[in-house]
Amino acid sequence: MRICGGAKNKNYGPIQITAEQIVREARELEEIHRHRPPKQKINDGTELGEYRLRKRKEFEDLIRRVGWNVKVWVKYAEWEESQKDFDRARSVWERVLEVDYKNHTLWLKYAEFEMKNRFINHARNVWHRAITLLPRVDQLWYKYIHMENMLGNVVGVRRIFEMWMEWMPERHAWLSYIKFELKYKEIQHARDLFERFVLCHPTVASWIRYAKFEINNGDACSTRNVFERALDKVVAAEDDEEAHKFFVAFADFEASCNETHRAECIYQFALHHHVPKGINC
Amino acid sequence: MSEERDVHPDCRNASNPYHECTDYCFRVIAEAKLRMQLHHQSEVAQASGGSRREEAIPNELYPDEGTHDDGPRPEENSDSEPDQPEPAQENMEDGSFPKLSSRQKKWMELRAKMQEAKKRNQIEIANEKKRMEPPTESRGVSKQKWLEDRKKKIGKLLDANGLDMTKAYMLDTQEAAEEKYKKWDKDPAPFGWDVFNQRTLYNAYKKRTKNIEVDVEEYNRMKEADPEFYRDASSLQYGKAPKISEDKIDKMVQELKDRDAKRGSFSRRRKFNDEKDVDSINDRNEHFNKKIERAFGKYTLEIKNNLERGTALPD
Repeated sequence: MRICGGAKNKNYGPIQITAEQIVREARELEEIHRHRPPKQKINDGTELGEYRLRKRKEFEDLIRRVGWNVKVWVKYAEWEESQKDFDRARSVWERVLEVDYKNHTLWLKYAEFEMKNRFINHARNVWHRAITLLPRVDQLWYKYIHMENMLGNVVGVRRIFEMWMEWMPERHAWLSYIKFELKYKEIQHARDLFERFVLCHPTVASWIRYAKFEINNGDACSTRNVFERALDKVVAAEDDEEAHKFFVAFADFEASCNETHRAECIYQFALHHHVPKGINC
Repeated sequence: MSEERDVHPDCRNASNPYHECTDYCFRVIAEAKLRMQLHHQSEVAQASGGSRREEAIPNELYPDEGTHDDGPRPEENSDSEPDQPEPAQENMEDGSFPKLSSRQKKWMELRAKMQEAKKRNQIEIANEKKRMEPPTESRGVSKQKWLEDRKKKIGKLLDANGLDMTKAYMLDTQEAAEEKYKKWDKDPAPFGWDVFNQRTLYNAYKKRTKNIEVDVEEYNRMKEADPEFYRDASSLQYGKAPKISEDKIDKMVQELKDRDAKRGSFSRRRKFNDEKDVDSINDRNEHFNKKIERAFGKYTLEIKNNLERGTALPD
């Protein structure tokens, strides 16, 4: 009797097997049947050349297949770097930037490649291109500035910061510029910068920052000037939380100058105009 | 049976149902007995009364041994017998004192050793169990177990001090409390796509600039040398770059290499759990399964358990 299509004997087979067993066997068989190419040592120049040729062919095939995947390009470039063939590495980087210049990690890696191998002017070119093409990516600016800083090229740092400030970046960028100036004790410069800063970011927090800077580095007169100018902005701003902080800071400053009468006036004014919670006189 | 507890009837904490006598307890008991004995001896007129009492007291201690099966116990009994008639009447007062404490001491030492051994055995059993069994995570409950363990530990400590679960914070030391406050004030660390936000980039930049030394004299020198020191963005001296000394370049390269090394430590290699079920036919398959598990594991846990069991639970 031939059984085609439907098994007549519906009993359990005498030997059962679990799914896990099947999978385990598959795993083990794969180990057994895996054929790796033999490990070869490279003995001289021709063998090295052959190895490099082979690797290059592999990489080129790979990027022809998956050209959209940045990882394979990066691997190719890093391999060329490891072979100390910097011109080829550069060409690979340029090719990938043709594919996708918007990827900021590519720029970062390219510049790092130039920096690690001590090609400073090449690195500068790469950085400059990067910040020109992607001016809103802060990481590029930070890292370029950091490079020039490490090299001690203070003039260059200032130039880059100025270029950056033309783009009116976020608060943190301004603050890093101001910190840089303060490190070298350029107080007047920092003051000018703060003026530009509060123009660019006219929030109460910026004014408070400016005032704190004046308290640390300036005299009472200029501080008072700052506070008074800020007063109009703060009143107009209608932001209770920030205004609260501002008034407290102002009053603290006046108190530290031993002008308790003015401090009282400030508190009265604050209570009159806003109703902040928890202000402690 | 409440008799199974290791509680000495004379222990001052005997009324506490959870108390188990340790060697500290025995020491206290022994001291109390000694004090009582001295007190009695000073009250009663002379030696004759003392010897009887001295016989009586060791017998009191021994009934507790009924709860342990001890080898050394009977030989100690036989040992102490010849001791008893020995001391003469006159030095009953000071003779009994060291004898009592020596016998007691021996007894207490042995007892302490046994307790110690018991405790250590228990700990070893627990550890070995943990070691031998593969970590029975059973897909996703290990964190709960850790939390439960922690709760239990804290619970024990709380009970010892008579506190409630809600007052668990009272167990913190001052340093631990300060750290907790600091953590509350800090913003939570960003994760996912937000890792490189403004604030973190700025902080990273700040951290790296901390290592740069500020050389004010060289700065001033450069200021003198260059007429256009404060050039701005649109300066015509764009292409010119100053001569950079080799050691500065070295420092920069070194810093880059350090950063590279640090980058490697951002993710760690997990332990390979070879007791776990094999559910992949391949390395790629295994990797895929890990990713899938990470993403959907907690949602499919029930379904998986049902499949393993063979039937679904009627919930």
